[in-house]
Amino acid sequence: MPKKKLDLLQGTLDLLVLKALALGPLHGLGVSSRIEQITQGAFQVKPGSLFPALHRMEEAGWLESSWGDSENNRRAKFYRLTKAGRRQLETETADWQRISLAIATALKAT
Amino acid sequence: MPLFPRLTSLWRNLLHRKRVELELSEEIQAYLDMLTEAKLREGLSPREARRAALVELGGVDQVKEQVREVRMGSLIEAVRQDVRYGVRVLLKSPVFTTVAILSLALGIGANTAIFSVVNGLLLRPLPYPESDRIMHVWHTPPQDSFPGQDRFSVSPGNYLDWKAQSQSFEQMAAYEYAGFSLSTGGDPVPVLAIAVASDFFSVLRTQPAVGRAFTAEEEEVGRDQVVVLSHGLWQRAFGGDPGVVGRTVTLNSRGFNVVGIMPAGFEFPQEAELWVPLAWDGEQRRVRSIHDSAVVARLKPNVTLEQAQAEMSTISSQLEQQYPEENKNWGAVVIPLHEDIVGDVRPALLMLFFAVGVVLLIACANVANLMLARGANRQKEIALRIALGATRGRVARQLLTESVLLAVVGGVLGLLLAGWGSNMLVRLSSGSLPASTEIGLDKWTLGFTLLVSLGAGILAGVAPAVQFTKSEMSEALKQGTGRSAAGSVKQRTRKALVISEVAMSLILLICAGLLIRSFWKLQQIDPGFDTRNTLTMSLGLSPTRYKEPAQQLAFQDRVLERIRALPGVVAAGVTSTIPLAGGGSKQPYTVEGRPAPPVAEQPLAQTRYVTADYFKAMGIPLRAGRFFGDQDSEKGAQVIIISEAMARQLWPGEDPIGKRLTASFHLDKGPREVVGVVGDVKSNVQETAPAATMYMPYRQTPRPWMTFVARTASDAQNFVPVMSKAIYSIDREQAVTNVRTMEQVMEQSLSGRQFHMTLLITFAALALVLAAVGVYGVMNYTVALRRRELGIRMALGAQGRDVLRLVIGQGLALTLIGVGAGLLAAYGLTRLMASLLYGVTATDFLTFFSVPAVLVAVGLLASYLPARRAAKVDPIIALRSE
Repeated sequence: MPKKKLDLLQGTLDLLVLKALALGPLHGLGVSSRIEQITQGAFQVKPGSLFPALHRMEEAGWLESSWGDSENNRRAKFYRLTKAGRRQLETETADWQRISLAIATALKAT
Repeated sequence: MPLFPRLTSLWRNLLHRKRVELELSEEIQAYLDMLTEAKLREGLSPREARRAALVELGGVDQVKEQVREVRMGSLIEAVRQDVRYGVRVLLKSPVFTTVAILSLALGIGANTAIFSVVNGLLLRPLPYPESDRIMHVWHTPPQDSFPGQDRFSVSPGNYLDWKAQSQSFEQMAAYEYAGFSLSTGGDPVPVLAIAVASDFFSVLRTQPAVGRAFTAEEEEVGRDQVVVLSHGLWQRAFGGDPGVVGRTVTLNSRGFNVVGIMPAGFEFPQEAELWVPLAWDGEQRRVRSIHDSAVVARLKPNVTLEQAQAEMSTISSQLEQQYPEENKNWGAVVIPLHEDIVGDVRPALLMLFFAVGVVLLIACANVANLMLARGANRQKEIALRIALGATRGRVARQLLTESVLLAVVGGVLGLLLAGWGSNMLVRLSSGSLPASTEIGLDKWTLGFTLLVSLGAGILAGVAPAVQFTKSEMSEALKQGTGRSAAGSVKQRTRKALVISEVAMSLILLICAGLLIRSFWKLQQIDPGFDTRNTLTMSLGLSPTRYKEPAQQLAFQDRVLERIRALPGVVAAGVTSTIPLAGGGSKQPYTVEGRPAPPVAEQPLAQTRYVTADYFKAMGIPLRAGRFFGDQDSEKGAQVIIISEAMARQLWPGEDPIGKRLTASFHLDKGPREVVGVVGDVKSNVQETAPAATMYMPYRQTPRPWMTFVARTASDAQNFVPVMSKAIYSIDREQAVTNVRTMEQVMEQSLSGRQFHMTLLITFAALALVLAAVGVYGVMNYTVALRRRELGIRMALGAQGRDVLRLVIGQGLALTLIGVGAGLLAAYGLTRLMASLLYGVTATDFLTFFSVPAVLVAVGLLASYLPARRAAKVDPIIALRSE
């Protein structure tokens, strides 16, 4: 499956960002490398999609942000999940599993 | 989805934009730096690492822009940018901006002012609780005696039967106008007093703010000396002292106990200053032939207007059978109070509302035109924006933002104009608008102005927005000058706009023309007497101090003697009512030697009671016989004077002198001999044919209500102080009212029409000016566009004259098409205003001929100025300039 298309999958980006942040606060670059890592390189999130998504999700109340120091002592903006964000992650995970199961079943049908 | 974080974000994005932007920059920068470090760690050189990071990022500004787009309030932000840009563009062309804003301000201001009147009078309910259930109940009079009258006052006997028998109403209350004079130490002041049945205030569901209303017992004669004051009179005459309740005040020389004060703003009927009980004695309660009362009633909650009307019709037909003598053909009609009060002004107000609407449309067309003209200079800017990737929608939105900006500023200015204008309106209307206290700027009016401003802005911006974003235009631009192609498209739009402006202003001008013609015809009316140098003053004698007719006559004689003795007074007389003022009564009569039908079927004549010199004082000419004289006293033979119209009607081709007729209301006095015939007099301005009038000598039919009339040698206005002094010198307790010269009476009778006419002329003139500006603008622009062509023509030998003819011809063509379209529309529309006209038809030839002529002349002038400029074009310069 070409990577470009994975990038565009609607709704997956939010889920991936929430999932990446579920393990702990991260800055922007951290979020994209974490996604790359947990998807084993299947997804590379470009800044042009990542930042709008982070800001949109923060405005929706799923994330909150604060300024802190990075591993290399660089000032960076860190995002972490809020309670609402955790709930959102649960809902989206459940949704995603339902959908993927349904799609998988459909594809197996003969 | 939680709302709160979104709202806080919106708040932050809009109000702390700088900080939000700064944080965004830092965040992206940090990302870029960290990415560069990561590349360095992968072993790239610093320069390569930086480059690779930038490539991966995909452009700092693009990322920022993408973030901005998802932010809360991104649309608001875009609008804010449009507005800021629009303001800058508008400020760069101050002349255009000023003209556009002024046009819109005038249009919006006029609309707001008229809307405030329409809102106050037609839309807003009356200021009483559940006012939609309050009704007026009137008699409908027999049509042969009162042609055209659909409402008539009610007699005590019939009112009491209505009240007792009807089931449709919670309460019903009669009220009558009474002229009272209030004495508080100095000269008595006339006050508008209303005598009301005790249920009056319950019908209106409004109780006094201080004290109480009347009780049923106070409807009895002898117990009725109580009064409720209006808030206004309480403030004016008693300084707002609440202690006045319980005190006794002097009205018509009698003491009245103040029992209550109405709340501020309660004014029913209009301009009422105080209320007293309406008390009838046993005999008066049975009277059915004297119609003096108005009746208000409150519908029961579950009764409809139709049901109430049906019930009242049944009751009055029973009363017709029961009392055929007085009630034959007298019906009853139930009219909602609001409808009754404003019904008469509705057509005129709607016409004015229509007129200001048209003015605003013209203003919008003008602004659209100006924007199109200015667009010629903005073509490059717009083409550039489109080339740089702005969508057509984005450019159209920018143009609309500009026109809405103009309209909003125009609206604010218009609101100021309207605030001043609606005060002017109320003052100008001088009583020809009912309930004028309800007129003003309120939240509805403000909302209306906002809507109208936005609407006008969008309307004015649509044509330019569509024109400038048309693809053929940008194509043309790409090819270089591109003037001809794009220009011709816009020219078509502009011409269409100008044509409609001309057409719309023609409609208004024709309406105004018809009103002017009506008014002029009304002023040309010969009222049948000499309005110049005639002063009138009315007086109602106190029924206790002047109980006996002999006392009333003695008072009258002494006053007349004083007035006659004044230097400069040529003649002085007394009449019961003056003509043109709308008062007076029509009374039945019978002719000796002809069959005498019952009173209800007898013919009616306008009736006045006058003294000997009344005719001389008014300047009414004698046609035959004689005026009244000293011999026509209480003891003399009963006599009567009739008008020419009445003489012609009763005795065509015969000599009426010496014939005898009986005034049915003075049956006891027997038949009266006709001793004179006088010229016809108009009872009101609208009267088309002179009404039959009979005059009876005051001395033979004395009454406490009288109007003194004096003919003076010079301007009657100068005699006001001496004449009122003459009256007060006899009795300073009797208040003089209605001090007016006959010229003022004439003026007042036309004031309503004058009001509508003045306004419509103003609006039509405004429309004319706007349309002229439109024609001028489009011709000016045409000349600018065709400079090169004109230059070639002149280089090839065309004379200045030819160019002049060419340009004027084009302007004239536009005007003529507009006039043609306007004439067709006006022909269809003016018949709607037939009820506002007098003496002219809705398709009056003179108006339909002269108004277009005026408009064509204005169109010629408006195209002459650009044409002259075109004729002066220097061919060399014109050719070089491209």
